Amino acid sequence: MMQLLYLDPGSGSYLIQVIIAGALAVLFYFKNTWNWIKSFFIKAPPKNEEEKNESID
Amino acid sequence: MSQSIKPHAASFRDPSGFIYEKDGTIYRFVSSAYQLHYDLLKSSGLADELIKQKKLLAFTEINENHTGRADWHKTLQPQFIPFLSYAWEWSFEQLKDAALTTLSICSSSLKKGMILKDATHTNIQFVNGKPKLIDTLSFEQYAEGEQWIAYRQFCECFLNPLLLAAYKGIEVSKLLLSYPDGVPAALTADLLPFKTKLKPVIYLHVHLHANLSGKAGKATSTQTKKVTKKNIELIIESLHDCITGLTLPVKQTTWNNYYDETILSDQYLSEKKKLVAALLSEMSYETVIDLGANEGEFSLLCKKEAQVVATDFDSACINSLYHKVKNEKLQHILPLVVDLTYPSPAMGWMNDERSAFFKRRKFDVGLALALIHHLAIEKNISFDQLAFFFAEVCNELIIEFVPKTDPKVAAMLKWRKDIFEHYTEVEFEQSFEQYFFLKKKVPVPHSDRTLYHYQKKQ
Repeated sequence: MMQLLYLDPGSGSYLIQVIIAGALAVLFYFKNTWNWIKSFFIKAPPKNEEEKNESID
Repeated sequence: MSQSIKPHAASFRDPSGFIYEKDGTIYRFVSSAYQLHYDLLKSSGLADELIKQKKLLAFTEINENHTGRADWHKTLQPQFIPFLSYAWEWSFEQLKDAALTTLSICSSSLKKGMILKDATHTNIQFVNGKPKLIDTLSFEQYAEGEQWIAYRQFCECFLNPLLLAAYKGIEVSKLLLSYPDGVPAALTADLLPFKTKLKPVIYLHVHLHANLSGKAGKATSTQTKKVTKKNIELIIESLHDCITGLTLPVKQTTWNNYYDETILSDQYLSEKKKLVAALLSEMSYETVIDLGANEGEFSLLCKKEAQVVATDFDSACINSLYHKVKNEKLQHILPLVVDLTYPSPAMGWMNDERSAFFKRRKFDVGLALALIHHLAIEKNISFDQLAFFFAEVCNELIIEFVPKTDPKVAAMLKWRKDIFEHYTEVEFEQSFEQYFFLKKKVPVPHSDRTLYHYQKKQ
């Protein structure tokens, strides 16, 4: 599809998004795995605590 | 195009359409070049959903082409915005909420097969206490494999100034006045402390982004990996989590505990509130500007049907007032960071895109409480200049005169030569009565201060 590129996305932005999203996918995978492991040891953590952890990185 | 219809000075960049004024009403021209995207925005239910969530400015379709242009697709009449403000007048929390609203809109758009093609703070306005996207033409159909074209713009306009405020205490209003198009990643990376490199999401969106920009240019033509919708959702989710977690460093300013200081007694404050409330109750008004509003103690006395713009140069005060406005749903108050001695200038192309602060509108009522001594003594502005200024800004004025015998003024003059022989109540009245009729004059109990209610001479 032809895009109306009136906004300059910045040079190399396509590759940047591929790399950043790839790294984020790995990061979220580990975080989810970690939370899954934690769930065996900590029963029903308070919800706001979870949110706090997520915002740290 | 008909001679009388001209695009608004701030609406010329996007070929999809433009806004214009006709007979005092603002309209939006939607070009046939944008037809596909506009029709999808409507048919997908995205526009209705976002308007219902109060994230997109409401609009109605008008079946009339005022412009006479052949590439006409639709005419829209957007909801009226009582007062335009810009990011260089916002506090941290305001920019943060504007950022989160933008991300939330982009996320909802992806679910409906669309995306935001721009993500700038100039597309957001505070209406009824909430940040809303005002640019109906920001949406674009999303096709799998496309990048988020506005990703860099989002980072520069929102993420980078918010990070610099959270980690370095730099005010977002000052950053965006210097960098109205957004703070570049390279500068942000240079200014942020080393510890931010250890935070994976900040590392990726700022430090790595800065390193890759420019360098990665050549690689794009040969690389085969595609950006997926899932990739963009991850980027948005990580930006959302990162920004949600940002807070301002705790810092006490001179002003955000102004009324807690013992120098001004509680009785003085409560008596002054009663007097101001009584004066306001006798007035008929729709718009108010509170100059030097501090944390909005007196803006809160205005009736809820009025539109109140509460200004102060202290961004911490405006931040806490915004917090209050948000939590208590005080939709009629718009808190803004404005230094009266350096109000926001006219900005953008031909100085015409973003208007100067005091050129935007006149107000029915002006409040200038515990303000005049700061302008007259700290800033050396004469009573004549001040009276002229207030007469330009508002029709009725409630102003507090603070004499030299007041402890606050005495403290100001303690370490400097008193060159203010004209700083007297008599000269104050003479200056103001050149432009105003005196309607009421009342002493404020438990102080040497006096409240004046002035009406502008026609």
